[in-house]
Amino acid sequence: MRKLSAVIVLMFLLSGCKSDERILERLGMVQTSSYDLSEDQRLKVTSSIPVVNPESVSRRELLVVEADSIKEARLQFSRKTELFLVSGQLRNVLFGLNLTKAGLGNYLDTLMRDPSVALGVRVSIVDGDAGALLSKDYKQHADTGQYVDHLLEKEGGRNSIPQITLYEFSRDYNDDGIDPIAPIIKETEDHVVIEGIACFEQDRYRMKIPAADGMIFALLRGSLNQGEVALNLGEDGGRKRIVMFSSLGSQHKLKVIRSENSRFKVKISASIQGSVLEYTGSLRLQNKADRQELEKEISAKLSSEGNQMIRNLQQHHVDSLGIGQYVRNSLSYREWKSTDWNKVYPSVEIEFHPKVIIKDYGKYN
Amino acid sequence: MGRDQKTTPSLQHILQQFDQCADLSRRNFPEIRVDIVYFPHLVSSKLLTDEILEPFARPQGDKIEQLLEQSQFVFQADVKKVVVGILGGSVAIFHMDQVYMLDAYGPETRSLVQSETETIITGPHDSFVESASTNLSLIRRRIKSSHLKVIRCSVGEISKTDVYILYIKGIANLEYVEELQKRIQRIEIDAINEGAMLSQFIEDNPNSVFPQFLTTERPDAAESKLEGGKIITIIDNSPTAISAPASFFEFFSSPDDYYQRWALGTALRLLRYSALLITIIFTAMYVSITTYHYEMIPEALLRTLAESRTRVPFPPVYEALLMETMIELLREAGARLPTKIGQTIGIVGGIVIGQAAVQAGLTSNILIIAVASSAIASFVIPSYMMSASIRLVRFGLIILAGIWGNMGLSMGVALLIIHLSSLTSLGSSYLSPVAPMKGTDWKDVFIRAPFALLKTRPSQTRTPNTIRQKMRK
Amino acid sequence: MAEKLTPFHITILVYMTQSGIIIFTLPRQLAEYFGTNGWLFMVPCFVISSLNIYLISLVYHMGKGRSIFLILEQSISKVVLYPLYIGLSSVWLIFGCMIGKKYVLLFQMISFPTTNPMIFKLAIDLLALLLLTKGIYTISKATTVFFWVTIWMYLLLLGFIPNFQWVRLTPFIFKEGHDMVRGGLDIYTAFLGYELSLLYLPYMDHKKKSMRGVYAGNTILSVAYISFAFICFGFFSLGQLKKLLYPLLDLLAFIQLPFVERLENLLYGFFLFLILVTVVMYWWAAAESVQRILPRANISILCSILVGISFVVSYIPTTLDQVNTWIMYLSYAATGIAFGLPLLLVVLLLVQRKRRNSYA
Repeated sequence: MRKLSAVIVLMFLLSGCKSDERILERLGMVQTSSYDLSEDQRLKVTSSIPVVNPESVSRRELLVVEADSIKEARLQFSRKTELFLVSGQLRNVLFGLNLTKAGLGNYLDTLMRDPSVALGVRVSIVDGDAGALLSKDYKQHADTGQYVDHLLEKEGGRNSIPQITLYEFSRDYNDDGIDPIAPIIKETEDHVVIEGIACFEQDRYRMKIPAADGMIFALLRGSLNQGEVALNLGEDGGRKRIVMFSSLGSQHKLKVIRSENSRFKVKISASIQGSVLEYTGSLRLQNKADRQELEKEISAKLSSEGNQMIRNLQQHHVDSLGIGQYVRNSLSYREWKSTDWNKVYPSVEIEFHPKVIIKDYGKYN
Repeated sequence: MGRDQKTTPSLQHILQQFDQCADLSRRNFPEIRVDIVYFPHLVSSKLLTDEILEPFARPQGDKIEQLLEQSQFVFQADVKKVVVGILGGSVAIFHMDQVYMLDAYGPETRSLVQSETETIITGPHDSFVESASTNLSLIRRRIKSSHLKVIRCSVGEISKTDVYILYIKGIANLEYVEELQKRIQRIEIDAINEGAMLSQFIEDNPNSVFPQFLTTERPDAAESKLEGGKIITIIDNSPTAISAPASFFEFFSSPDDYYQRWALGTALRLLRYSALLITIIFTAMYVSITTYHYEMIPEALLRTLAESRTRVPFPPVYEALLMETMIELLREAGARLPTKIGQTIGIVGGIVIGQAAVQAGLTSNILIIAVASSAIASFVIPSYMMSASIRLVRFGLIILAGIWGNMGLSMGVALLIIHLSSLTSLGSSYLSPVAPMKGTDWKDVFIRAPFALLKTRPSQTRTPNTIRQKMRK
Repeated sequence: MAEKLTPFHITILVYMTQSGIIIFTLPRQLAEYFGTNGWLFMVPCFVISSLNIYLISLVYHMGKGRSIFLILEQSISKVVLYPLYIGLSSVWLIFGCMIGKKYVLLFQMISFPTTNPMIFKLAIDLLALLLLTKGIYTISKATTVFFWVTIWMYLLLLGFIPNFQWVRLTPFIFKEGHDMVRGGLDIYTAFLGYELSLLYLPYMDHKKKSMRGVYAGNTILSVAYISFAFICFGFFSLGQLKKLLYPLLDLLAFIQLPFVERLENLLYGFFLFLILVTVVMYWWAAAESVQRILPRANISILCSILVGISFVVSYIPTTLDQVNTWIMYLSYAATGIAFGLPLLLVVLLLVQRKRRNSYA
């Protein structure tokens, strides 16, 4: 009897929750959103919604609006579409460079607050106008937002750029020993190109690491289990010596040494293993001694590029490598609190010591 | 002895009782002053000829009295018992105001055929038939032990159906036997026609959707239940044997599991439990995700799913209920029709209607997949009773999912679990061996461990003799 | 059939009663109040709760398995006891009901934001009532099933190990926290639930192992909570963790499987089972104490009335904040009961023993 009455009560309530229905085909599921700073210092929001109707020619609907906040933009969007706008399927947020320079903190806050937005939303920076990039149609791709998302996902999987989602971004943003980073992309005539890695100081964009150096950045930042890097080892008798180092795995270690007068010395060592897929120099790879020499050369090259990158980061006051975390962990709490890491960081002596081992060199001599 | 039946049974009296029973047969042998009365269709004609017709036709010098002193002829002074005897297939022999009965029961029965509802691939293919004596013989043949005890009771005020309670002394817990016997004797109804019907009269909670006793048509299954310490009840005129006490998980095992190699048996068990899960929640999940939880759809599936829903005019819950009802209609139609037509119905219904419904934009094709796979999964459950119950439960969950999405689904599952855990079978927990927890039983419930590990009988039977296997490698 | 609770069932019951709504906020509270490596605070909590259980086991041994009501009534007059019983039962009753309400309000953040929360509350209450009226033995059976249906979720923690970094844990202990005393009290309430084992006494199998079941349940819970909090501290950065109001939901939302994403939508429903058991057990305890006052009352009717009362009470607080405040004060009271009641009982038992000795 009691069960029956429970069931009856439940049935009775059926009508009570129509307003909370989110029936799939009636939803405008924002998949990609871009945020820019317009000329009059307002927020320009562009959102891309997939159009699922098979009879429709276009595969996505674009909504562009200028507003003062992200959620206000949503209200304005709502007036433009017959669909019920929701952000639970948001995959990618693009920030224009202007906005990034002004700081992302507020927008991050809004995104994190919305319970329907998960931590897995990809965060990327657009060199230029993000709305323009998202609005543009690329012939070979029906949905630009999806194209960008897949591009970043694939490249992130290969470690040439970091995979940055809201989780990583806000994690590093809220940590006192590391600064956040994000991939930066750019629109070209018929493609979207990965430009490199945007480095932030707190929530403000400071500098960019070119995509070609992405791998070195990754080696500096942590352990890897896959990746590819092409290095120019200079010229040898008029011939360019290029080495392509592939399927590399790297073990990353970071050591903090305190010298006198409380200066820090940080040693980043990476032991890198991989296979050589291309080599245009004169060394004979089947020769053990030559191979060791090549290993040394690659190490030296990586080391110099790495160290240069570190200097560059230090000059821009961005601790994208998370050196601060390690320094913090080597100190007592009081010492850490009394150091102004932001001030100390540029003068810290950081060295990169890669050690390269060639696992194999292909199937041809 | 009925005290009010003091009157000696006379031929007239008996014939009066069976007034207007055209199928009653009466013969007389005037030279020896003997009358016999019987139902020819209940009596084995061979026995009749051998025991009565031939000896009575020419009494070889012996007097008829001496003939009737043979042990097969039972003197009977109680009218009521004479009537019952005749109804039970005995021949009543009237001689000089005295009545003798000869049990010549042997009606026409269906011969042994394969079980229709519980087919297996390898293993014995015989199945119970309607005749209780044949069924008893099928079990006796398998268990050649004097410890196999049979209690006979009778059920039904009018039908007087024989019910046999079988158990193995020393293995079965006698408390269960007593309890079962008590429950059967408590039944007061005009007739009980089927084993599964009987089980509803003796169940702990007749209002539950779930069968609390396992029914089987397979003698090998009944045998293994007996040997596990359970009690088998056989009812005459029904091919269904009842095994008690039963646990929910028992319904997901099939004799096949033991005939196959253990790895395969284990895989099959796991498959059945996943079938249970699919049956119960697959369609409900579709409803809840497409109605409320669009976030849960991965990007790769989003477009497919949304596209398939675009032309559907009604909310997912109605769509799902419509298709589920359709499938149930098909199943029911298929079950009522002769096999060959049933198959055609299945094909016509499944393919034609399914395809047309999608093309007409009445349902999404993803839903067809969900509904079809949950229907198929429901048939994977070996017990027809259980699979039917679960299909019914599924409708409730679909509705709940339509009301409150995943929360409704969880509430439904919680309700289900609460209900299941309050069920008992002959007073023992229906959810044994999960609750009360008996970890050692799990290896014969969720998986089918190698025989070397199956050394004990299930705990639910509370058997005094737990060891079933002493063999060592 | 008068069936007894086996030690295994007691373990499960204790664990399931303890694990409740606080798991959604626990890592954040640890980070907020205790700062760096706040998860370590769970260890002293575990020790304290174990000590409390030891106190309960003393009651069990000294009282030779008698029900606590019998012990109380032997020494204290009913005039004093009845208000005490009413106090106990009202704390437990309202505590249980607020937990249910908080669960509903939290759920409405994820979906069904505009539906009246009391409708969900009603459904949950009805479910709880259904289970409650079936008696402790059926509750324990259902709890066992709920346990198996939910315990696997801790395996999901393994999925966060790739993003776990020791660096984020920092070597500092309890730095950057504030209000540690209040926070400690708040977090200790995560362990509440074991105190109800006082009431299991007459239902237990009279064996030594039963008390071990209570310890085991508490240990399972502690291991689960500690590992969960630990993973959170290495997965999120401290600053981030402080800002995430419900880190558990964020964690669940982070999981992506090939066929389904955003598991918080689905798994939040699974937490219903945990909440249901917690609520039912508190209500059961409340019903047990009220039954002591009205021994002749029909259990079903009594339970229905109690649940009805609590349903009405749960109308009063409407926002998450108000509910949190209610839960805070009630959990302080429940903590007080958890320590006070067994202490009182031990004292009474000592007095009773002394008196018996002096008579002898």
